[in-house]
Amino acid sequence: MTEKIIYIKDTNTSKEDNTSKFYNAFEQKLQGKNLLDKIHLIKIADMGIYNKGITLKLLPENITYVNVKENDIGRIIESTIEKGKTLVDLHLKESYKQVRIALRHCGNLNPENIDEYIANDGYSALTKALTEMSPENVIDEIRKSGLRGRGGGGYPTWLKWKFTLEVDSEQKYVICNADEGDPGAYMDRSMLEGDPHSLIEGMIIAGYAVKATQGYFYIRAEYPLAIERIQKAINQAYEYGLLGKNILDSRVNFDLEIRLGAGAFVCGEETALIASIEGKRGYPRPRPPYPSVKGLWNQPTVINNVETLINVPYIILEGGTKYSSVGTEKSTGTKVFALTGKIKNSGLVEVAMGMPIKNLINDIGGGSATDKKIKAVQTGGPSGGVIPVNYFDTPVSYEALQELGSIMGSGGLIVMDETDCMVDIAKFYLQFCVDESCGKCAPCRIGGYQMLRLLEKISEGKGELGDIDKLKSISQGMQKASLCGLGQTAPNPVVSTLQYFEEEYKEHILEKKCRAGKCSELLSYYIIPDKCTKCGLCFKNCPVNAIKGDRKTGFVIDPDLCIKCGKCAEVCKFDAVTRK
Amino acid sequence: MSKIDLKSIKENTQASCECCVKIGMSTCGLAAGAEEVFKVFETEIKKRKLPLTVRKCGCIGLCCAEPLVEVNVKELPKVLYGNVDKKIALKIIEEHIEKKNLIHDYIYEINM
Repeated sequence: MTEKIIYIKDTNTSKEDNTSKFYNAFEQKLQGKNLLDKIHLIKIADMGIYNKGITLKLLPENITYVNVKENDIGRIIESTIEKGKTLVDLHLKESYKQVRIALRHCGNLNPENIDEYIANDGYSALTKALTEMSPENVIDEIRKSGLRGRGGGGYPTWLKWKFTLEVDSEQKYVICNADEGDPGAYMDRSMLEGDPHSLIEGMIIAGYAVKATQGYFYIRAEYPLAIERIQKAINQAYEYGLLGKNILDSRVNFDLEIRLGAGAFVCGEETALIASIEGKRGYPRPRPPYPSVKGLWNQPTVINNVETLINVPYIILEGGTKYSSVGTEKSTGTKVFALTGKIKNSGLVEVAMGMPIKNLINDIGGGSATDKKIKAVQTGGPSGGVIPVNYFDTPVSYEALQELGSIMGSGGLIVMDETDCMVDIAKFYLQFCVDESCGKCAPCRIGGYQMLRLLEKISEGKGELGDIDKLKSISQGMQKASLCGLGQTAPNPVVSTLQYFEEEYKEHILEKKCRAGKCSELLSYYIIPDKCTKCGLCFKNCPVNAIKGDRKTGFVIDPDLCIKCGKCAEVCKFDAVTRK
Repeated sequence: MSKIDLKSIKENTQASCECCVKIGMSTCGLAAGAEEVFKVFETEIKKRKLPLTVRKCGCIGLCCAEPLVEVNVKELPKVLYGNVDKKIALKIIEEHIEKKNLIHDYIYEINM
């Protein structure tokens, strides 16, 4: 049997992969020492460490060596493998790691099997709450944890619960907001699909804490698998008597149902969501009164995001103080992010609050997916903003991101590199908000449309310098006068791109140039005669026959006919088509 | 159900996955072909009469490397394989599970 496992990976992604070369050298040295049958040497696909050269990890000692050169192999074998000594100069002591609290069961348990969940301490938080704690105790535990709304607002969860508990009413409700709609965000989906029972447990505990007897999952209809698994989990919980009347002999009643969202972004806003559950059109209404006083069917209602609720069983079971020991003082615990865009490891990560953005991107996400430099990240979806690379030291927390003009949001984090145009990004998000605006209030309905027109003008090269001021003043109007969060925050992407990348806007307006090469109206395609081999591939692929010429004389692009689709540049094998 | 029933379920269900293969079957995994991989494991393990259970689980987060398969067998640490397709699934069964050899280039995590 093998005694040790050593795994190897070249973590420099931009250069040629030297893993195999190093592996062969290592294998040879081991063979020379007759150690091959004792050591299992393995090349792996991903180390979780990036841009630190050849990295190797030794198990069972769990020692990580980084920036290892071939001439270090001898020392490693002699000192570490044979004598068990750690080489200090190569040793990587600490690396940034994920902390899994909200995702504790995702990827670990079968979401369709309640027994497996129970075997992993499932529903023991509920047992603890129902038998050992009063509703006030539960709320106090949540207060100690410092848990804040993970939907983006960051409102203290315990306060929401306390207000609802304090209102005297026969019927109260708990709603789980699973109407996740930010482009590029899918944390909630993953939790609904991967760990439905934790959510149900969190809902029942919330119901007990505020004395509500009915709960609703508001899930968007575009998540069929999530709906299926939640429904299955609800059925199993009913079967086991964990939902319904007299839960665990405690005289507590709680029922759960699913309501489907029909795909309106604004229904993620709590008052619109409530209207939607009531069967009305998903229109938001002005607050106060807040839902904790007058919510669903005018009864006190707690609305919490998926990620907030999934933390609840953990907090009850492990204690609020343990939860608050992770993270920063004001933003405690962890946050799940959906890393997307130009990043190597796109996917879900959960990190302790307070981790600097650069570590989140480079150490956890693996840095840029291409050889292009990362320019900025966009957080918080259409309500958030961009954070340029020179602010990447900022820790992720509600306050710090807000200071930069962005928001934590639900956790979508889109990484952008040099080929992303900021005007285009602003346009994309604004277009999203214009499409999703319910049209009830004028600032959002008219303001959004006018801003979009201005951005289109700029990206087409028809912009004027005055347009920037116009964008700023409309933004202000929308932020101040819109009825709900959607309109108030819709200008944020424009405001923050203007704040950090005003020169890009000015380039579009004054020089009619898009440095990222995204705004097609500002580009023209050319064939470089020196590079062209006259193969005619572009000629064949042009959808509008804008490429003239033949295989003898060579080819040229007629700018009047060209629709700038980029097909010619895509098919050219010799990089002979360029855009300017 | 009462508290005692809950306790008995807890005691009677295997909490950890000691001899098993776990396949991420959330939307991201299914989109990448986890269903197919799941079937390969299910049929092959039955066919070869291997003492293993095949389970589905939620998304572990590494969506870019889906389908992800966690293999936990005796004598080897817990290993997470990524980008698994039908071919690799067969290789995992033959090499990793039967011969106890780790497979190059597809491992994303090893846990002792």
